[in-house]
Amino acid sequence: MRHLAIATAVAASLSAWSATHAVAQTPVDYPQKVVTLVTHSSPGGGSDVFLREMAKHLPKYVKATFIVENVQGGSGARAISRLAAAPADGSVFYATTPTYIYTSLLSKVQHGYKDVEPLANFFTDSEVIYTRADGPFKTLKDVIDKAKSTRGRWGAANPASLERQAAEQLKKAAGVSPAVVSHEGGGDLMINVLNGTLDIGVGEIPELRPQLEAGKIRLLATFDPQRMEAFPAIPTVKESGYPVALEKFRGLAGPKGLPAEITKIWDETVPKVLADPEYQKVYKTESLVPNFIPHDKYQGFIQNFGSTTETFLKESGVLK
Amino acid sequence: MHSLGIAFDLLFGSPIILYSIIGLTWGIVGGSLPGISASITMALLLPFTYGMAPVQAIVMLACTYIGAEYGGSIPAILIRTPGTNSAAATVIDGYEMKRQGRAGEALGISLWSGVIGSLFGLLMLVVMTEPLSWVALAFKPTSYFALGILGLSVIASMTNGSLLKGLAAAVVGLMIATVGTDPISGVTRFTFGSPELLGGVEPVLIMIGVFAVSELMMQSGSKGLGGIGEQVRVRLPSLSMMNRLKRSQFIGCLLGTFEGLTPGGGGSIAAFLSYNEARRWSKEPEKFGKGSEEGVAAPETANNTVASAALIPLLSFGIPSSNSTAVLLGGLLIHGLLPGPRLFEQNADVVVGLYLGSFIATLAQILVGILLLPFCVWLVNRPRAYLAGFILALILSGIFTLNTSLFDLGIALGMGLVGYLMRRAGYPFLPLILGVVLGHMVESSYRRSLLLSGGDHTIFLEDPIAVGLLIASTIFVTLSLVREFRDARNAKLKDVHA
Repeated sequence: MRHLAIATAVAASLSAWSATHAVAQTPVDYPQKVVTLVTHSSPGGGSDVFLREMAKHLPKYVKATFIVENVQGGSGARAISRLAAAPADGSVFYATTPTYIYTSLLSKVQHGYKDVEPLANFFTDSEVIYTRADGPFKTLKDVIDKAKSTRGRWGAANPASLERQAAEQLKKAAGVSPAVVSHEGGGDLMINVLNGTLDIGVGEIPELRPQLEAGKIRLLATFDPQRMEAFPAIPTVKESGYPVALEKFRGLAGPKGLPAEITKIWDETVPKVLADPEYQKVYKTESLVPNFIPHDKYQGFIQNFGSTTETFLKESGVLK
Repeated sequence: MHSLGIAFDLLFGSPIILYSIIGLTWGIVGGSLPGISASITMALLLPFTYGMAPVQAIVMLACTYIGAEYGGSIPAILIRTPGTNSAAATVIDGYEMKRQGRAGEALGISLWSGVIGSLFGLLMLVVMTEPLSWVALAFKPTSYFALGILGLSVIASMTNGSLLKGLAAAVVGLMIATVGTDPISGVTRFTFGSPELLGGVEPVLIMIGVFAVSELMMQSGSKGLGGIGEQVRVRLPSLSMMNRLKRSQFIGCLLGTFEGLTPGGGGSIAAFLSYNEARRWSKEPEKFGKGSEEGVAAPETANNTVASAALIPLLSFGIPSSNSTAVLLGGLLIHGLLPGPRLFEQNADVVVGLYLGSFIATLAQILVGILLLPFCVWLVNRPRAYLAGFILALILSGIFTLNTSLFDLGIALGMGLVGYLMRRAGYPFLPLILGVVLGHMVESSYRRSLLLSGGDHTIFLEDPIAVGLLIASTIFVTLSLVREFRDARNAKLKDVHA
């Protein structure tokens, strides 16, 4: 607790200092010349693209060089270990996604999500429920009604994933018992929704975009807490009458014990980067929803996400 | 007319020919190094494409894929080690031809068949992308199950006389395929808590271990320390030979297109299936396994057809049907290109460029293939001790670049030991590979189907594709068994008469 008190005091004095010195356009000084952003995804994968785009726009606001390092394998475990072993001086961060929580829970990792420190959140990927456009379902209620009268067929992209968790939670909230079938990723799932094998699928906008734009897919609802900016007509699952909301987060984490001056810089920089018009243009086409969560709140967010996930994995029998 | 304009622009306005030839050359060299699969060859190139224009990067990667599929047959024929996974079937007759002193002829057939396969695949890609994309859509979990069974049924005819040993090897392969995250429930199986095994054991590690590492172990155990010794020159097939190869190439084209369209094992399954079908429909089936030209032509046509046809589901749905197209998908995404129907409208230059570049690479393949062969032969012709050490180092670094994982190296070396023991004890290891490649698909689609039907097996009868494929597999297995028993009886009769 003492450390926390000191940290807060330092943070408070720092913020007072920076408030007087804040200059809008010039990049702020940063204690490190080079910042390495680690991701578990392969070049071209989701988190990799996220980091590479971000690394282009960060130098406008922070005086440092940002490089992306791909530490693949072990479903993210190796990347977390790389991070946990790095010095907590703001020189190394890791792109967080729910994957790192799932891996920590599903296997005996050397370092888990509790061994690193969430820094700040940038975005949320919208999880949506979709069906084929020429199918019989027009609203989420149609789908639930079908699941009540006969056997519903729902799909999730991967086993033990956030999409699967979303489907299971909706099932519970609506009091129905359809088959929830896991697939080998979003593409595989989409084919089975398009060819009518499944009633609905739970997925993310970027992987659906080609078919969405071609008019082959209809969105029924989003698991986001609020409606999506890009699709204002699509209701949330909550609005449709089922109290389920999920946030597939994208942010950064650092080694444990990040100094307050570092977290402070990021807390100020992230909103600025998110407001950058050029960056906005890029991430809006990727359907990323800006969702800034500052350092102090992000700890609770991740812990909460972790415990919800753990409960889900235990309830579904994946974890004992 | 619009796209024709783009084509001219690309051809003369930007050095697309250059990129396609560089990609092709790198592909042939990478593919000809045992243990460096087509996907690894492409992955190694990927970082260099970051700075290129999208069309240049995509063309280069696609041409690398084409080149690697031919390159893989060079060591398969010369040193009995496939350079790429999909050249595994080429080993059977290719190496036999080499032993008969016909290595140049085998290489020529491989090259010629590769060109035919690529051209056919390209034709399908350009003309049929729209109509053929339904094939991917028509495949339900039940059909995938049946497809997997059809693939496994090939085992019955790949056992070299010992059905029991073949089945035992296949079972080991199927067992390996169960490691990892359960495809339906997400429960972890046989991972012993290791995060490295959450995604299962990658088939490429097994193939490298069982083929390449165990081959190196066998070689270091043998006395002869020279290379392949002779000078090899590519001998393209004569007109009458081309005529004789038509049938097996046709089979390779068909199966390659089919395999390219459907997600699964990529070129290796197509190569094995077409080898098997070519033997079934051949006028001289008895020559297979003893240096049959058709036995080289069929798998080499098939794997090159896959390289082009696999672009159909990739471009139209964004679905990679093999590891190599997954790397290509990464390349597209890095350059901000989203596959799907809109790609053809919004990024027509990339699509046309891709067609054009692949076409150039296909034609250039003959020339580049012949020109590069002395270099590739020189490579595999080094004194065996040096070569084995060099290849082992390359294999291990190739595996390491894939996931930067030492754990993967352990798996590949361990599988090398398994492969060595299998060779020593006379177990065929192709069934093991098929088990690993297909086990996951068979299991997950079977359970998915039953989950959909609520445990009712009649769901398989409701899907005409599944019914057709299952009937075909039954026929294959029965025919193979009949042949096996007939051969055994004939052998017995011969013994009696002798």
